[in-house]
Amino acid sequence: MRNKALLMIINGILLSFTQPSEAQGIWSGYLQTDNRLRLYDDYEFSWQEYRLNLELEVKPSEKVKLYSEVWLRSWGFPVVQSSSDLFNKDKVSPWNLAFREAYLDLYGFISDNLDLRIGKQRIAWGTADKLNPTDNLNPPDIEDIWDFGRHLGSDAIKGSYYMDDFTFTGVYVPMFTPAVLPRGDWSAALSPSMEIQEGLILRNLTDSITMPAYKPEESSIAGIKAANSIFGFDFSLSYVYGRDYLPLAQRITFTPTSVPGEVDIHSELVFPRMHIPGIDMAGSIMDIGVWAEAAVFFPEEIELIIDLSGLGMGIQDSIALADDPYVKYVIGADYTFKNGIYINGQYLHGFVHERGNENMEDYFLCGIEKSFLDDELKITMAGGVEIKDYNEIENNYAYIFSPEIAYRPLDNASIKIGGLFIDGKDNTTFGRVKKSDEMSIKISYNF
Amino acid sequence: MKKLILRNFVVFSILMCVSLCWAQDEQLSAAQILENVDDVINAPQDQDLKIELILIDENGEEKSREMKMLQKGSNKRMVKFLSPAEQKGIAFLSLPDDIMYLYLPAFKKIRRIASHVKNTKFAGTDFTYEDMEAKRYSEKYDPSLLKKNDEHYVLQLNPKEGLKTDYSKLIMWVRTDNFYSTKIEFYNRGGKLYKVMTSNDIEKVDGYWVSMKNEMEDLKADHKTRMILQEVKFDSNLPDKYFTERYLKR
Repeated sequence: MRNKALLMIINGILLSFTQPSEAQGIWSGYLQTDNRLRLYDDYEFSWQEYRLNLELEVKPSEKVKLYSEVWLRSWGFPVVQSSSDLFNKDKVSPWNLAFREAYLDLYGFISDNLDLRIGKQRIAWGTADKLNPTDNLNPPDIEDIWDFGRHLGSDAIKGSYYMDDFTFTGVYVPMFTPAVLPRGDWSAALSPSMEIQEGLILRNLTDSITMPAYKPEESSIAGIKAANSIFGFDFSLSYVYGRDYLPLAQRITFTPTSVPGEVDIHSELVFPRMHIPGIDMAGSIMDIGVWAEAAVFFPEEIELIIDLSGLGMGIQDSIALADDPYVKYVIGADYTFKNGIYINGQYLHGFVHERGNENMEDYFLCGIEKSFLDDELKITMAGGVEIKDYNEIENNYAYIFSPEIAYRPLDNASIKIGGLFIDGKDNTTFGRVKKSDEMSIKISYNF
Repeated sequence: MKKLILRNFVVFSILMCVSLCWAQDEQLSAAQILENVDDVINAPQDQDLKIELILIDENGEEKSREMKMLQKGSNKRMVKFLSPAEQKGIAFLSLPDDIMYLYLPAFKKIRRIASHVKNTKFAGTDFTYEDMEAKRYSEKYDPSLLKKNDEHYVLQLNPKEGLKTDYSKLIMWVRTDNFYSTKIEFYNRGGKLYKVMTSNDIEKVDGYWVSMKNEMEDLKADHKTRMILQEVKFDSNLPDKYFTERYLKR
């Protein structure tokens, strides 16, 4: 099936190269290699990705556009565990094909002021830089934590109505899709920790996820937004009836094994429903670019049942997620100095995986960029500090530092060498991955 | 004697009036010349241009970009990059009241451009975002006439109070026959000359004067950007809706 899809893509490219035009379709994209080395203990390779990004844009008329973006990737390392795996090419050389977006645009549909977009699409809401509490229509794609802010496309229908300076947007996503989580240490960092009772030894930890039923009232996500400019600032108000894209434990069952004191634990996870009104703004004050964005999350209450009956300790009830509203927000600013140095700072309250007022943490993030040699060389220094508890900062902080040098020897080609260095206390999000320091080299060519 | 005094008084008064009028005429002339420059460069109702940009570094090495530029009146402009591939689809919208937007296809987002970005280089060229915005010079600068010869008026343009710009002044050479600006010197806030724009191959297309080749030189960086018009269409009745965020990302 995948081979057939690949052949169709190659066929399409060859056809479009013979007579490239907007009506026939224009292909573009990039090829990118990404290799990373973990700078800890054994200096293992931690990431290997060769990505071919293909974009096709077809404009058969002024009022219609088709667009698709596909990733064809050789990704990961051989997963060979036995000689029989050597007969399986997918295990020897893992690869995958993913539709990032594939949609049809109808401009001036029914009314001159209405645009419609149908299909798999990215609906990026919010004015902040990559950290967007109001961006809740597409599931986060956190597969690569270095590429934070990436989202999956959603199969959706979006209508945008333009009236004077107002833009009204309505979105309907029929089917819920969960987030893609990072592998390894990062996955643990974004999952809530669980303590087991003293004297118990964990043998196996398993889980099962209950997906929303394939019914409109269960699986659908919908959103509306109104945007306008007032006093030189862009404002928008939004509302999303959605779900948390990260799962939450609803039931945890402890089962004793044949070894005294040893248990298996099984978690049942769900994606809580929530109402999310939001607001964002962008503009400039005294030449400084400023933006702010906030979303209030009204979750459904999720009761947590801990079944210890197998241990003869009965069943315990508690609240995994209260139905109290909680707020996530970002305030940011940027500025370019006369010498070309660009600086960007953001204060974030509430990271993607945090829920409930008592669990919101603060993050201070900053980036500095400067280009040299007619933009052929760019040096970026990005970093951030996480504060879990201001009352005892010395035991509740973590920091992250990510320098990068990008060199563009010729148009369309770039080589990037970067690093990711983390340190902090074990009880913080970043502190849990402090042994994940990495260096990376990325080479890309756009066509 | 009385008659002589009276006659001298009349002659003196006439001379005073003439010189006052001449002085006022000179003041008006600079403003009028700049108005005429604005009228000439913004004469078409709208402009639809395909432009090749050639970036030339200090070693003479060249890089090429292509862009589409739409302009309506003198205060709405949309620029979209067609090449190179890494910049294709990047679009810039300039609206009245210094409102500017940038669309970056990689982020699927339109970003409002803060005023600090106005004085930075536009996509690696020697033009800044401020240089790229559609404008009438007479609305942003106070002109004074430095000199005039048979071929050119030379104007000094000082930023009007409250104008956010990195330029302390511009010196503009204007052709006397058609009021087309042929050269502009840009001075930084320290009063030092740092950029020069020259307009060449000035010809009439569909009844409007247009420079087919412009060149902006950054004297400090020893870097030039040549802007060559490849396709020119005037008065195609471009609708206002082309100059909106809605169209920026199409």
